[in-house]
Amino acid sequence: MRLGARDGAVFVIPATIFMAAAFVAPLLMVIVTSVGGTDLTLAHYKELVSRPLYITVLWNTLQISALSTIATILLAYPIAYHLARQPPRRRAFLLILVLLPFWTSILVKSFAFTVLLGRDGTLNTALIWLFGPGARLPMLFNRPAVLIGMTHYLIPFAVFSILASLLAQNPELRRAAEIMGAGRLRIFLTITLPLSLPGVLAGALLSMILSMGMFVTPALLGGRTDLMISNLIDFHVRETLDWNAAAALAVCLMVVTGLFAALLSRVRPGQLLGHEP
Amino acid sequence: MRPAAARRAPLSLAASATAWVIYLLLALPSLIIIPMSFSSSDELVFPPHALSLHLYNIYFFESNWMAATTESLEVATGTVMVSLLLGVGAAYGLARGEFPGKSLLAMLLLSPAFVPAIVLGLGLYLYLGVAHLGGTTAGLIISHSLVATPFVILTTMAGLRHVDRNLEIAATVMGAGRLLVLRRVTLPLLRPTIMAAALFAFLISFDEVVIAYFIAGVRTQTLPVKMYSAIHWEISPVLAAVSTLLTLLSLGICVAVALLQKDR
Repeated sequence: MRLGARDGAVFVIPATIFMAAAFVAPLLMVIVTSVGGTDLTLAHYKELVSRPLYITVLWNTLQISALSTIATILLAYPIAYHLARQPPRRRAFLLILVLLPFWTSILVKSFAFTVLLGRDGTLNTALIWLFGPGARLPMLFNRPAVLIGMTHYLIPFAVFSILASLLAQNPELRRAAEIMGAGRLRIFLTITLPLSLPGVLAGALLSMILSMGMFVTPALLGGRTDLMISNLIDFHVRETLDWNAAAALAVCLMVVTGLFAALLSRVRPGQLLGHEP
Repeated sequence: MRPAAARRAPLSLAASATAWVIYLLLALPSLIIIPMSFSSSDELVFPPHALSLHLYNIYFFESNWMAATTESLEVATGTVMVSLLLGVGAAYGLARGEFPGKSLLAMLLLSPAFVPAIVLGLGLYLYLGVAHLGGTTAGLIISHSLVATPFVILTTMAGLRHVDRNLEIAATVMGAGRLLVLRRVTLPLLRPTIMAAALFAFLISFDEVVIAYFIAGVRTQTLPVKMYSAIHWEISPVLAAVSTLLTLLSLGICVAVALLQKDR
């Protein structure tokens, strides 16, 4: 049964009105605020490129996002590969192990990491017990803590994306290679891995989009001076009350993540959210 | 895919072992909190010295954590209703309808999922302030519905792909009008999907922190906002009890959704 032009549209109207009022309007307001309202000035953007603080924060954001994306892909691939080789029932069970962290509150995870990595945390207690009081390591409120927290958050997203491309492969290809005498490693390197690269790329793009906008992880696990764009936006809204600067930063963030999202939609048009296949 | 009985090369054993180590690393942080939540003292240690429900007692009876929890429950319930109402309809129109500008509209409706929460938070903070909805429960419900609706649409569209069109056609051929088909055929077949979408929407709202941090007022502080402040300013041991309860909630919803989608 197909709905006609009118009927189909009728069902979509309420959601469209809601999105126009509660999504498009607030974003427009951010853009308007970034150019100083009716002043129509680019001064706030000029400030972004002229002050060293902003350059540093922008560079931090890109660096942290890129590093955690690389770590995410390296850790997500073995899981996706393992899941793809399981019979469906077992896979459904193992998927829960990935879905649970996916649906666990970011605050629960951040709290867990502060307990694990803290000065008197679980890991440091274990280190001291093993190697004596000199073994204590600073593991919290620094760059590595942010990278750990972020990678942990991103892995499930990348797993879903890579798993989808592994499951979409034709098993006959591998069987053919096996019959012709190729070993496991060779099959993996010449068939499985190349065919899964679109999934890897989609997972990496999604990781970049998500990590560049991360707020909670750098705020709770990072050093007080090692800011990302989100933390700077928050700082301007709360501390300096400079909404124009906050809005200009938000527009920049939106443009960069928007570019990555556009790339993502070209790589994987049907599976935009990198969600469960 | 080879059967398990086939000979296993050391290479594939290594691959499985690697995968299991990573599964463990994924699960470990949330799991380590659970024993700590039964600590009898106000110190967070692993393993706890003696077991007690001390921290749960504080959470439920001796603090203002319950007020934040109630606020979050209210907001999440409102979000489920609004996002289902908007999202299920939109998914039906997008999946079964044919009208100009459809793919553009689908992009608009799904795009809130791609805009960083901090940008949405700032926008809604400015916008709801002007609309005199800043710091209200209604403002929180609107904001969370914005984030949850794309997930409801995607989940419902996936569910609609599994609804046999022939059943809808058969009902139409036998003279049922469009709304009757929707009410008596499509929606009943969609029930597990809609329940899964409702659970997702609930959890998205119940766990959402960034936008709520920007727009919640003193009286409308949600549970995640309170948790955020508690982690930021002082690591309160009650957090272990709250985290354990939230982990159980996530686990329950994961399992429920897995069961709902099993029969597909």
